[in-house]
Amino acid sequence: MNRKKIYPLYLAVIPAIVFIIFFIVPSTVGYYYAFTNWSAARTDSLKFVGLDNIKSVITSSKVPVAFVNTLIYAGVKTVMVTLLGFVFAYILNRDIKSRTALRTVYFIPSIFSCLVVGLIFSAVFQTRHGTLNNILNAFGIANVQWLGSRWTAVFAICVAEVWRNVGYAIIITLAGMQSVSSDYIEAGKLDGASEWQLFKNITLPLIMPTVNVNILFSLIYGLKMFDLIYVMTGGGPGNATESFGTLMMNEMSAGRYAQSVAVNLVFTVLLVIVSMVYQKFSSRWETVE
Amino acid sequence: MKKRLTIINRILEVILWIFSIVTIYPMLMVVLTSFKSKGEASYLNISLPTEWHFENYVTVIEKDFIQSLGNSVFITFISVALIVALSAFMSFIIARRDTKGCRITYKIITLGIIAPFTALPTIQLLQKLGLYGSRIGLCFVYAALYMPFTTMMLSGFIKGIPRELDEAAVMDGAIGGELFVKVVLPLLKPVLATTGVLNFMWVWNELQIPMYLLNSSSKWTLPLSVYNFYGQFSRSWNLVCADVVLVSLPVIIVYIFAQKWVIAGMTAGAVKG
Repeated sequence: MNRKKIYPLYLAVIPAIVFIIFFIVPSTVGYYYAFTNWSAARTDSLKFVGLDNIKSVITSSKVPVAFVNTLIYAGVKTVMVTLLGFVFAYILNRDIKSRTALRTVYFIPSIFSCLVVGLIFSAVFQTRHGTLNNILNAFGIANVQWLGSRWTAVFAICVAEVWRNVGYAIIITLAGMQSVSSDYIEAGKLDGASEWQLFKNITLPLIMPTVNVNILFSLIYGLKMFDLIYVMTGGGPGNATESFGTLMMNEMSAGRYAQSVAVNLVFTVLLVIVSMVYQKFSSRWETVE
Repeated sequence: MKKRLTIINRILEVILWIFSIVTIYPMLMVVLTSFKSKGEASYLNISLPTEWHFENYVTVIEKDFIQSLGNSVFITFISVALIVALSAFMSFIIARRDTKGCRITYKIITLGIIAPFTALPTIQLLQKLGLYGSRIGLCFVYAALYMPFTTMMLSGFIKGIPRELDEAAVMDGAIGGELFVKVVLPLLKPVLATTGVLNFMWVWNELQIPMYLLNSSSKWTLPLSVYNFYGQFSRSWNLVCADVVLVSLPVIIVYIFAQKWVIAGMTAGAVKG
């Protein structure tokens, strides 16, 4: 019996229909709205306006600001989380008694929703009696308006994001390190390799595929960040901390529907480019190794 | 040499515990604040409450908490069931049939991990289908959005199941759905549990999508109602913190009981790619 009969297509028809209707259609045909004059005030007899919306969102200050912020959120998060994940996993992979307890403590923030983490850090970074300012006051430093200006607010959001994701990176990296066979390490030791050499020449190349996938996911989810920013600053002050995710929401709330879809389209293009570039680089890097 | 290594490890262990204050401190602050009076709660520190105000929790629960909990349970349950069931059939066909068409379909599906949620077009679509604002419409959107990741994991797993097992069952006359249920499905149990738990956490915690798709407060999920609660009571940190504790409890409980699968799922997702 041939394969096509044993595995008939009709089994995949319902999943395919759901995926096409609720994902493919809005993500392709739906972008038509980016080229119309759709708004809260005009919901029918839409006119085709060509690239006007795309041009206007790119040339207004909003998209460039969101673009820079989104790259910062995703970049800082990915770099910090990967580095810290490496350091902590490396230490936890040594002969440490309270390893399980430590691993759990660091992992717990990863199970909270971004909303919860956003609320926690709204309290931490609040100006009057906020947790961080309380601690700084004890050292004689005056209150800082953390969420009141662009760069301190971006910093605060990055801190919250890193806080939530470090535990996840530790778990993944640690799992990768534990899967490295101790035979290799022993062989390296017999050849007189130092601890750094063992790490650089044996452990690192072996866990790199795991780390690479992890970095890619971290980048994608970092670029898509919405909840944390929306809860902590709402994109403000002004549009200073906006990411693409919050910009889409705020444009819609302001009734500029077509512009919101245009932002969405620009964002999709950015995501596809970033993940393609990263995959290209990481695969080249792996073959070099 | 060995002794020196033990000392280094001890020191590193102490350093890790000192660092963990950064993790523990904010969580402890929230839990303690949730038992304070409004005035005391505005000092966001980790001092013990002078009086324990357990009634903060009663106040929060009386504000539509039960209704949103019901919505969250309903939406999460239906969505996860849909995601896992649809992905399982999809992966079975993609991984086993393995034609050119299947490989292209797989590529398109994995693009779904990268592409962002297209909010307004989805709203328009749901309006045309008469599903906008309904819980079941939201469930189908979740199903389509989370299918790519689950399909990626399941088809990776199915490819690891030897085809010889299928062939034996085909000899006995089992093909298609019967083959799937009899042979592949029992072997998929662990990975179904893992993806089920992961999807549960994602759907349960999601804020952005229900914010776009649920318009009436009677259908709000827990995160959505907590967000609006924060909007109204942002000065009452005691109540907000009680709400934060309550909304996190279900995930913590699931984590405690399904820890094994949560961690297995997260690592498998990254290792398999």
